Amino acid sequence: MRKIGTKEIEYIAMGSTVLGTGGGGDPYIGKLLVKQAMKTYGEVNLIAAEELKDNALVVPIAAFGAPMILVEKLFSGNEFTKAFEMMEEYLGKKIDAVMPAEAGGLNGVIPFAVATQKNIPIVDADGMGRAFPRLEMVTFTLHNIPVSPIAQADEKGNRNIYHTIDNVWGETLVGATTIQMGGSCAIGCYPMSGAQVKKAAVHGIVSYAQKLGEAILDAKDKNRSPLDSLIQEAAAIKLFTGKISNVTIKTEGRWNKGICEILGLDENQGSRMELDFQNEFLMAKKDGLPVAITPDLIVLIDAENAQPITAEAVQFGTRVVVLGMKANKQWRTPEGIVLGGPQKFGYKEKFSPIEELNKN
Amino acid sequence: MYYKIGVDVGGTNTDAVLVSHTNEILAKTKQTTTLDVSSGIRNAMNEVISKVDVPKEDIKYIMLGTTHCTNALVERKELNKIGAIRIGLPASSSIPTMADFPEDLKTLLGEHIYMVHGGYEFDGRLISPLNEEEVKKCLGAMKGQVESLAITGIFSKTLPDQELQVAAWAKEILGNEIRTSCSHQLGGLGLLERENAAVLNAALQKVASKMVNAFKATVHELGLSSQLFIGQNDGTLMSLEQVQDYPVLTISSGPTNSIRGAGALSKVESGIVIDVGGTTSDGGVLVNFFPRESTQAAQIGGVLTNFRMPDVVAVGIGGGTIVRFEEGKCMLGPDSVGYQLKEKAIAFGGNTPTLSDFFLANGELKIDGSIDASILRAAIEKNVDIAFTEALIAVKNQIKATIEQLVDKLKTDSTEIPVIACGGGAFLLPREISGASKVIFPEYLEVANAFGACIAQIGYEEEMVINTMQQEENKALEQLLQKVKDELLKNGALQDSVKVLAKESIPLAYLPGATKLKVKLCGDLLR
Repeated sequence: MRKIGTKEIEYIAMGSTVLGTGGGGDPYIGKLLVKQAMKTYGEVNLIAAEELKDNALVVPIAAFGAPMILVEKLFSGNEFTKAFEMMEEYLGKKIDAVMPAEAGGLNGVIPFAVATQKNIPIVDADGMGRAFPRLEMVTFTLHNIPVSPIAQADEKGNRNIYHTIDNVWGETLVGATTIQMGGSCAIGCYPMSGAQVKKAAVHGIVSYAQKLGEAILDAKDKNRSPLDSLIQEAAAIKLFTGKISNVTIKTEGRWNKGICEILGLDENQGSRMELDFQNEFLMAKKDGLPVAITPDLIVLIDAENAQPITAEAVQFGTRVVVLGMKANKQWRTPEGIVLGGPQKFGYKEKFSPIEELNKN
Repeated sequence: MYYKIGVDVGGTNTDAVLVSHTNEILAKTKQTTTLDVSSGIRNAMNEVISKVDVPKEDIKYIMLGTTHCTNALVERKELNKIGAIRIGLPASSSIPTMADFPEDLKTLLGEHIYMVHGGYEFDGRLISPLNEEEVKKCLGAMKGQVESLAITGIFSKTLPDQELQVAAWAKEILGNEIRTSCSHQLGGLGLLERENAAVLNAALQKVASKMVNAFKATVHELGLSSQLFIGQNDGTLMSLEQVQDYPVLTISSGPTNSIRGAGALSKVESGIVIDVGGTTSDGGVLVNFFPRESTQAAQIGGVLTNFRMPDVVAVGIGGGTIVRFEEGKCMLGPDSVGYQLKEKAIAFGGNTPTLSDFFLANGELKIDGSIDASILRAAIEKNVDIAFTEALIAVKNQIKATIEQLVDKLKTDSTEIPVIACGGGAFLLPREISGASKVIFPEYLEVANAFGACIAQIGYEEEMVINTMQQEENKALEQLLQKVKDELLKNGALQDSVKVLAKESIPLAYLPGATKLKVKLCGDLLR
């Protein structure tokens, strides 16, 4: 167990942006919200999954909705505690700890706001080890843990409890009501036992996010290159160095799809990379051949300051480095590849691990 | 036949041009920027008027790009006592107004901060109705203690009526002299960034009024009765009345003026503009006669905003850049003697070798009061301890390498495009740059910024989010286009000159059914 205060939140927010792989919403808003809550309620205890009692009740808490809405209609701050209290009331049991559902993006920091207000610990684990666009796309699904009951609350005080026949329906129904709530809400979901967290979650992800953030933000003080520190800390593969030459965005059904083209520089002079994104970066192709495929992580980094760039902020002319990071091993099982792999997003290419794709 | 004067205030120089109605430059000047800014403006205008013989009554328009507001913010000087009201409860209370401001600025401005019920959903439904009693209670608490008020409502970009209602109540309670800054006039989506802009704007309104009065007085003193305009950061103009309402929009108009001015002087519509000053070379990209805008959030005085700033990359090469040789290797800057060139440079009796010294010594540059070129060459040799010709080659190679890197960074692909040189230090730029189809040194390049100020156009933009389940996207986009066009014509644009700069609909990530629309138009203000 260790304490997390506003200083650590800065690092975690930065690391969450890396794990967001271009999506997940900018953690800036989340960071301000958590720092503000910590000013009133104080630091939070971060505990390892192993520290949980097997019969402890753990509930992931998340923001749900469109990042574009979240930056305009800011949270009241009470939605998250409302969702938390509803879950306790519904289950008739006290929640022992919260945890992030998704360590990538905004939701990597949001649960700290509840933890500080409720004075309960947050578990150093999540259900993705990255960001994914749908509620059912978590390692919990791989372990047959139901998303329901889901507790949903908006800033106005509207509340719902959902019972869904499976985890996909959770995404469908919460998504449908979220747009009516004005495009954003808070949810508590996947209530589970300590034993289930130990088995099904991605462990140590909050500390990992913090280390990635420290690698980027503290490198200058240590006279190191932030990019090199990040690559080392993340055990990342440097896939490409270049300059963004074109960005195209189109809609297909519910997806915000796009392609970011990068022209090679330095050791990649003469080569070309295409990054496909559907909210997150999902596929990196170098000269037409895949070099990284979801669920492995594809991270776009600004070569100037080593800060991660989100798919929404991609801009022509930016000098970038593309990094590939191994997905958690749960995603690399046959079931994991079905849930978070390329076919789920409509790609023809079969999943192959980045270390295989970049062997030479 | 009529004439225009364009004035641009920079950190070091205040430049002015007098041009004909067909944009032909008849007179130009470079004056030192003064501490009070205004007397520098007067000197510059006086100089161009006295250089040509045109009837004063025929000088119809004067356009000013100025740093008054930037300076006031950076130095935290003369800022107003402000109040701020955010309309949106119960939403948004998790992050208070000015949450991420630098502490000193928060202390200075943060005394009267209130949140009230109100605001809209993205699709136009109410979050809460306004409560008159609640709002008036907040206003009452500020009575006699604030000079201006920032008003920010959730999704006010789509529906501004609540902001306008609060502004009307403010006049009622605080008196007609209270100035109000409504956020829907000041930025795009993103509540905190727009609220920050409204707060900074409110804080600058007194500075703006003073600046406007000084500008008017200067023009009057010079015996002119011209119509006056101030430049905005997106390359468009505001009337003096508008400036007093929205002073924050004048911040960073300088780079925009340079980029547009250089484009117009060289008659090139797309390319790279490099503005060389005393300390840095600022590179920007010209696309269809307008600067490419940065997507990175702009920080002003340490505060995050969502302004439409030109995407400018600076490198440490300017007329005052200090030259060093370490173990025979030439190092340029990044430090500069800046405005102290005439005290510190070797050519003026100082002992700091600057880039200007090398070009003076080689006869490529002439400045009044510099020592003779051959004496200068000897003095440089003695200072750097390397033969002059050899040192000059090293310096020029280093400039070329740095500028080529800058050009490469600004380009989006490998196609060769024109590079346009401008600014007082343009003589430093190489005649050939790899990656550039050509390097253009247009006539009057040293006053491109002042020229840019007087060819400015008028622009208007709007963005909003719609629910495509309730509204047809194409129809909504056309309606928005019409609204923007009406606004633009109302502000004085000529009907047949209206051009579409942006017309986009972007689906929102993670929220099927919601789409963001954006329209931006511009037009000519004058014939």
